[in-house]
Amino acid sequence: MQRDVGSLPLSPALRARLLAAGFQTAQELLETGPCGLSKEIGISREEALEALQVVRQECAGDAAKTAGGSGSTRKCTALELLEEEQTQGFIITFCSALDNILGGGVQLTKITEICGAPGVGKTQLCMQLAVDVQIPECFGGVAGEAVFIDTEGSFMVDRAADIATACVRHCQLIAEAHQEEDHLQALETFSLESILSHIYYFRCRDYIELLAQVYLLPDFLSEHSKVRLVVIDGIAFPFRHDFEDLSLRTRLLNGLAQQLIIIANDHKSAVVLTNQMTTRFGQNQSMLVPALGESWGHAATVRLIFHWDNTQRLATLYKSPSQKESTIPYNITPQGFRDVQPPPVTQNAEGTEMNPRKRPRREEEK
Amino acid sequence: MATKKLRRAKLSQELCERLSRYQITTCQDFLCLSLLELMKVTGESYRNVQKLLRKVSLACAPKMQTAYEMKVRRSINPSAAFLPTSLHSLDKVLHGGIPCGSLTELTSPPGCGKTQFCITMSVLATLPVSMGGLDGAVIYIDTESAFSAERLIEIAGNRFPTYFDSDEKLFCMTRSIHLYRELTCDSVLKRIKSLEEEIISKKIKLIIIDSVASVVRKEFDTKLQGNLAERSNFLARGASLLKYVAEEFSIPVILTNQITTSLSNGLAIPADLVSPAHDLSLSEGASGSGKKESACVTAALGNTWSHSVNTRLILQYHDLLTRQIVIAKSPVAPFSTFFYTVEKSGLVLQDGKNLSNLPWEGTNPALQTIQVRNTALGNALLKTTDETPGDTPSP
Repeated sequence: MQRDVGSLPLSPALRARLLAAGFQTAQELLETGPCGLSKEIGISREEALEALQVVRQECAGDAAKTAGGSGSTRKCTALELLEEEQTQGFIITFCSALDNILGGGVQLTKITEICGAPGVGKTQLCMQLAVDVQIPECFGGVAGEAVFIDTEGSFMVDRAADIATACVRHCQLIAEAHQEEDHLQALETFSLESILSHIYYFRCRDYIELLAQVYLLPDFLSEHSKVRLVVIDGIAFPFRHDFEDLSLRTRLLNGLAQQLIIIANDHKSAVVLTNQMTTRFGQNQSMLVPALGESWGHAATVRLIFHWDNTQRLATLYKSPSQKESTIPYNITPQGFRDVQPPPVTQNAEGTEMNPRKRPRREEEK
Repeated sequence: MATKKLRRAKLSQELCERLSRYQITTCQDFLCLSLLELMKVTGESYRNVQKLLRKVSLACAPKMQTAYEMKVRRSINPSAAFLPTSLHSLDKVLHGGIPCGSLTELTSPPGCGKTQFCITMSVLATLPVSMGGLDGAVIYIDTESAFSAERLIEIAGNRFPTYFDSDEKLFCMTRSIHLYRELTCDSVLKRIKSLEEEIISKKIKLIIIDSVASVVRKEFDTKLQGNLAERSNFLARGASLLKYVAEEFSIPVILTNQITTSLSNGLAIPADLVSPAHDLSLSEGASGSGKKESACVTAALGNTWSHSVNTRLILQYHDLLTRQIVIAKSPVAPFSTFFYTVEKSGLVLQDGKNLSNLPWEGTNPALQTIQVRNTALGNALLKTTDETPGDTPSP
């Protein structure tokens, strides 16, 4: 009630007039009433009424916040948060090593960023996740839908169809092994057509289309409330050329990151972004670092870096609030994103004979 | 879409006039401002500004399609999804051939067969759909003046002797290949911008740019300050224009690239500046000890360019007569290699290799090492007594 007039979300011209007339708090405005206001400031009665309605709404919102009531206030105890986190689902990636280092899979309500060299498998993982998010709950999935925002044009429907078919096959095998009623029931609706029809695809050609699409995303997600995954494949591509004003770029990216965090929290969905690598020239060496600059590194909660080691693809967990930094190998197969199959090793006692081809499964100590 | 005027975004006339006083006329200007700035320039309240933002975003945002709709559209017209290269094993692994609607890059050392491949693809695109072609015209942007019309006719005549049995058919085919000679980066960019109209008017079904690297490397010397950023800018702009055109009309785009030597300390020098006396066969792709500088030959134009192309095929030397075609980056195909030779009818695959167990190895497509002539010769001399039956080159 004692809220300062300058902080109310009225139009700037009206605000300036109110301040010039000497109004200081919202209470004064409400006490004056629309007729008095219109006479004092020189605006029409309808405008005054509109302004007062805005003020009343704001004050009501404030009161609710101070009382600590409504759910939109985002205040809770750590115990409530712990319970929420434990019941929350993860989106599995079908690569158990990757799921392990992520603590179960891609987390909902968090932004995960995947950086990597070209051709290493970022888009493959995104397509895999878009399929995996739809796995029914009885098989361990979150039974959600996916939004796929593509800026590079690397989404191939045929490949997504292959991945989806392999996933359905996998679930069918599980159902056959366990023979439970709800498994078979879930399988009736979990098919190639249903998976593909629940991947909502947007092709953004430049950064303006991307910004516009992210502004419209909250409305879209309210209409399609089952969406649990938003993938932006190639957040770097539209921002890396045609930008003379780097400060504008930083501002737009930060705004984008904030909106995505709000979307992730409000709609309980995971946001996955893919980033490119760029060459940074040092003193007398150059290294590959994630693109879009240092400040972008703060945007994502979890950061994965995919890279090559000769012919093996590796994934490194680079930044995570809850998991340890580690590196694991993975493969891309015709069925999608998978683990590396260790070659069959003859049993030996106590590891006295190190098979040089077997990759150590222990996490690397940094 | 970005340059769409606000008028067409269904904003009221007076609002547009007011905004134009602040030099905000396009959707791009509008969306780049923060909420507070928008409140200032429009004079509206917070809630109204959010409504306006949504209105303008609706005007710019792309249309939604589900993956299922895309698949259905593809299956209605399956032949339009790929352009077969007439190299059967390659086509099988690539799920059909060169994909339509995305960029395919061809990299190789000089003299390996890039231009031959491009000429062959031009012929294939003009063939009728029943023979695996696209029944359309071709735009060939030549920056090296390497296109030879006589070779074109030779390849056509030898590869499809039954189809091109009359001069009439040959002339018809050559008439539908439109050749443009561009010698500077600016003119290449201008040509790419004009592609949209040409495609509609001439019914183009294939775009070939041979080669991107030559014109870029002529003009941008990356050792000079600022040139690297400008070069990346040019390449990124060219790539996004080409992608737009490729997707809009669902046609394949083939680009060719050159090679460069990448020293392990990361600095890349153009391979043609290194004299043939240099031992380019220094190790293949080593991240060796810090002291020794090991070099490897890879595709030119840098890391960012490797991100922009969707498919990368590498042609390299294998030994004296045979060469290899390598699928280094592809969203649908695993890493694989095939042997081929260049003959009168163009590229011909040697099907000696067993394809049933394709190895899943490959490495970073931006750093994939490429064998140049010297290394191939060196290897050939080393293994004169050790040839496997599948690799015997044809005379």
